Amino acid sequence: MHMGIAERMASAHKQIAISEFFEKNKHFLGFDTDTRALITAVKEAVDNALDACEEARILPTITIKISKHDAKRDIILLEVQDNGPGIPMKSLENVFGKLLYGSRFHVIRQSRGQQGIGITGVVMYGQLTTGKPSRIISKIATEETAVQVNIGIDTQKNKALKTKQERITWTDEDGELIEHGVRVITKMKAKYQRGRQSVYQYLRMTSIVNPHAEISFTDPEGERTIFTRVTEKLPRVVDAIKPHPSGMHLGQLQRMLKSSDERKLTSFLRHNFSGVSQRAAKELITAAELEEGSKPKLVKPDAAQALLEAMNGKRNGARGKPVKLLPPPTNCLSPIEEMLIKKGLSKTIDSRFIATLTRPPVVSQGNPYQVEVGLIFGGGMPADKPVEILRFANRVPLMYQQGGCLLTKAIESVDWRQYGLEQAGGKGVPKGPAAILIHLASTYVQFTSEAKEALADNEEVFGEVRKAALEMGRGLRRHLEKRKKMAKTKEKFELINDILPAIAEKSASLLGKPVPALGGAITKIMNAVICQETTLWNKETKQSDVTILLYNYTARPRSYTILVSWPESLAEMVANERGGRKEAFGLWAWKLETIEPGARAEVTYSLVGLEKGDWNETEIFYRGAGNVIGASVLDEKILAEIRKQEERGHEIIATEQHDSAIEIIENPIETLTDSTSPPESQLEPMPKPEKVPPPTMDPDPGADVDTEMSPIPGSSPATGADDLGQSVMNKTTDLFKQQKLFDGGGAQ
Amino acid sequence: MTRKHSPEETKAAMHEVVLEMYNRMMKGEAPTMTLPVRTKKNIGFDSKLGVYKYGKKRSIRDAKSLGSAKQLLRALHVIEFIEEMINAGKSSTLREMYYISEGWGHGHFSSQNESNNLAEDLEIVTKCLREDFKLRPEEDGSRMIGDITVNERNRRGEWMRINARDDVGDSGYGVPYNVEAEKIQLLEHDVDFIMAIETGGMFDRLVENGFDEEHRCALLHLKGQPARSTRRILKRMNEEWNLPVVVFLDGDPWSFRIYASIAYGAIKTAHISEYLATPSASYLGITADDIVAYDLPSDDLSSKDVEALKAELTDPRFNDSWWQEQINMMLDLGQKAEQQSLAKYGLDFVTDTYLPEKLAEMGH
Repeated sequence: MHMGIAERMASAHKQIAISEFFEKNKHFLGFDTDTRALITAVKEAVDNALDACEEARILPTITIKISKHDAKRDIILLEVQDNGPGIPMKSLENVFGKLLYGSRFHVIRQSRGQQGIGITGVVMYGQLTTGKPSRIISKIATEETAVQVNIGIDTQKNKALKTKQERITWTDEDGELIEHGVRVITKMKAKYQRGRQSVYQYLRMTSIVNPHAEISFTDPEGERTIFTRVTEKLPRVVDAIKPHPSGMHLGQLQRMLKSSDERKLTSFLRHNFSGVSQRAAKELITAAELEEGSKPKLVKPDAAQALLEAMNGKRNGARGKPVKLLPPPTNCLSPIEEMLIKKGLSKTIDSRFIATLTRPPVVSQGNPYQVEVGLIFGGGMPADKPVEILRFANRVPLMYQQGGCLLTKAIESVDWRQYGLEQAGGKGVPKGPAAILIHLASTYVQFTSEAKEALADNEEVFGEVRKAALEMGRGLRRHLEKRKKMAKTKEKFELINDILPAIAEKSASLLGKPVPALGGAITKIMNAVICQETTLWNKETKQSDVTILLYNYTARPRSYTILVSWPESLAEMVANERGGRKEAFGLWAWKLETIEPGARAEVTYSLVGLEKGDWNETEIFYRGAGNVIGASVLDEKILAEIRKQEERGHEIIATEQHDSAIEIIENPIETLTDSTSPPESQLEPMPKPEKVPPPTMDPDPGADVDTEMSPIPGSSPATGADDLGQSVMNKTTDLFKQQKLFDGGGAQ
Repeated sequence: MTRKHSPEETKAAMHEVVLEMYNRMMKGEAPTMTLPVRTKKNIGFDSKLGVYKYGKKRSIRDAKSLGSAKQLLRALHVIEFIEEMINAGKSSTLREMYYISEGWGHGHFSSQNESNNLAEDLEIVTKCLREDFKLRPEEDGSRMIGDITVNERNRRGEWMRINARDDVGDSGYGVPYNVEAEKIQLLEHDVDFIMAIETGGMFDRLVENGFDEEHRCALLHLKGQPARSTRRILKRMNEEWNLPVVVFLDGDPWSFRIYASIAYGAIKTAHISEYLATPSASYLGITADDIVAYDLPSDDLSSKDVEALKAELTDPRFNDSWWQEQINMMLDLGQKAEQQSLAKYGLDFVTDTYLPEKLAEMGH
């Protein structure tokens, strides 16, 4: 079991200055250098803003300004403002003034905030380095005026120190009243730097995976960059889910048992976990050699251990096999989705080709996850530099430790040479005018260390990223081949339309003879069927018009089936006069009439439901004899793969439907904190405003709390620093306990 | 043997080229132009002429790719342009033709090199000379100093008698682009041999030191890779006056090539080698031996130099034991030297010591 630093500290010292905790752990918390501290501060503020807007279903507009406050002492003034729901006055001190306060840890779902200490850390860092409190302005829609307050932290008591609180009329630059939002103004010792690890890069990456956000950034030189909003579509609301048995730890299970009011173990299992049916509950109990009717509260530690082993598949059930469980639902994930990745990428990177792929959700060790990959190629990117790898976990950019990250390793494992990129020895980061985006969405992101900048090795995730990367690669190769073919086709057309007639005319006039007919020569020269495709955005109709022309420049009549790829999930096909039929998801087919030598056939249709720039190129495939320049032979293997994926997609939907029948519990272990926890009112200082739940102020009743205790690190020389690091932030438990500790409550 | 053609012969020869294209199209085929392969793989020694000529390998340029189709169209435009010049009694430079081609639509040239190559192509397939085509080269002719007297017809059509020692300044007699009989008559001379020199600096050194008078020779400045007219006048003096030719160049792979083009014919102009090459011309220096023997200041061979030397090892023109030895020696040394490196031993060393020694060695 993991041993949290919190437990260790708790057992030895009832009271410890939170500033000391902060100081000791600042490398985990992202404040170890002046440069990184600034990035972390921006990150915490922006993540908060994005999460808040997402929960409140508001399209985020975030303004970040960094200016030099005292250049000599490296004091920087950071101002971050959002248009989120705002934070009610009562909650301000908890959100900004209490370390590890927040909603992030009590439910299992994908959220940005899993990855940081929270905005309080920023307030704390500012105070520790400048001695100054932070200024917060917050306005909620239901109130007339905004609250302005200076918040500092009593580092002995982990309590906010509020000063100069007043009600103000809050207006923007144009004097317009601001309806709702939060503005945080903090002074801190920090350094602004440019480059790959910079505030700018963080915001650029954030904007790529949050295409629904408008982010405006002013750097210390006064230079302003606006990352525009490219979609009005908010990320979908994610549901919280109950834990899945296969990912359980002993402490967690014991606490859940202890706090359960269920009368029987069977109902305890059915009601508190996802993926456990009545039958599975019974089988688990049998496997653990327990009684179905046992009262969960009274289950002994060794019995809990047995139950855990059954849950983790380490004990066989009645059939001599581990108990079969349904996978957890995956609707708790919020992928960015292919088209939006496309928009996000093309907004910040100029390119010729973009491919994006959202893999179906998968479950690993009880945690659902989903991998998304985007590849962007060409345009203004340098051809002789390593490809830019943009890594994200739950929409949060990962900017450090690229080499040690699972996502990078998966990309490096692909032989990119076969897909048209340079790569020494077929390994490592490829070179070329390209950028690769990888996004891992999961309820539980495993990092290599507490710095939370690199994902830990996981065979299944690795496999998923690699699969997605391979598919990107194939897309890139097809694109490059198509471009080559198109250039060749263009040349051929110039040859037969311009050059050859000129040769005929000139030679005839030099010899004083009649101009020869060119039909025969053209057939000889082309000796091919040529496919020309145009996909054009029609401004008036707001449709993408596609025209496909097939010329038969061979001496024999030809017949083909033409197939096109189209964004079936996003668009509707109209004005398709030839009809045709659906070959697979996103693949439409037309059987064409026989085309005589020298004749041509035409296919036209339009796509409705897309926006400008969404669909610029149509991939064309064919079935039939002879080479078609400008189209690819339909690879029946790929088609089979597409169909397989389709089927798998259905399976996943089926699973989700199944699981959505289980009601979602908000606080599965609500009562667990009982005597040691602060009064409810203190934890949940205000009722949620109707319809507009502020994201950062949900109570944290302490999911996933370990019961184990251990001596503090200093007293246990056998405990390595790594071990310490492993557990400090990784487990939400520890943080929660830390908080309670500072609240004055004792350890269990 | 290539010779001057009449305007009618020239036009008829060009029409053959057009007819090949036309007939192919009439047969429902892609138009073509057939011409010899112009690489070192297709040159062979013509023992009757004593020079290297194109062999039998033919390449067919057909209109199946955009590039060669454009070449065919350009050829037609060039033919039309030449016909117009012949009919109007005009001539133009290759560079002028390049600019005129701007108006040829799809048939325009995208570089001067293309137009030069195409003019050569046409020479090869029609067996005419570019003088027949009324096309002049851009390259300026060489300079000559020595007791040689020629008659040159000036632009007013009058014959001018010029002595290349007494009637000229220090820069010498400027050789015109056309050195055929209708333009230049070789009248008389009082020299024992002709020395062709690669660089202007060395030419001027020899002139200043009075080498031509002291050693009874004519000095010809090649200006690097010599122009056709330079090679042609060298050939005429060699043939008509029976004067020996010695070639004095830098000691590097590129100079070896210059010598080969003078003595055996250049690969690019192998169709008229017998008209330009002087098989009896001999290579005086700088040799690889000289670099060692005279301990000349030298430079490292670049990778391109090495490449060029290696290519020369398989070039049929260098396929004799002396050249193979020289080339291999230079590769072994890894060094090259300029003519002017002889100045290491003083300004007069070249005229007082080096050249007399080398000439004696060669039997002059």
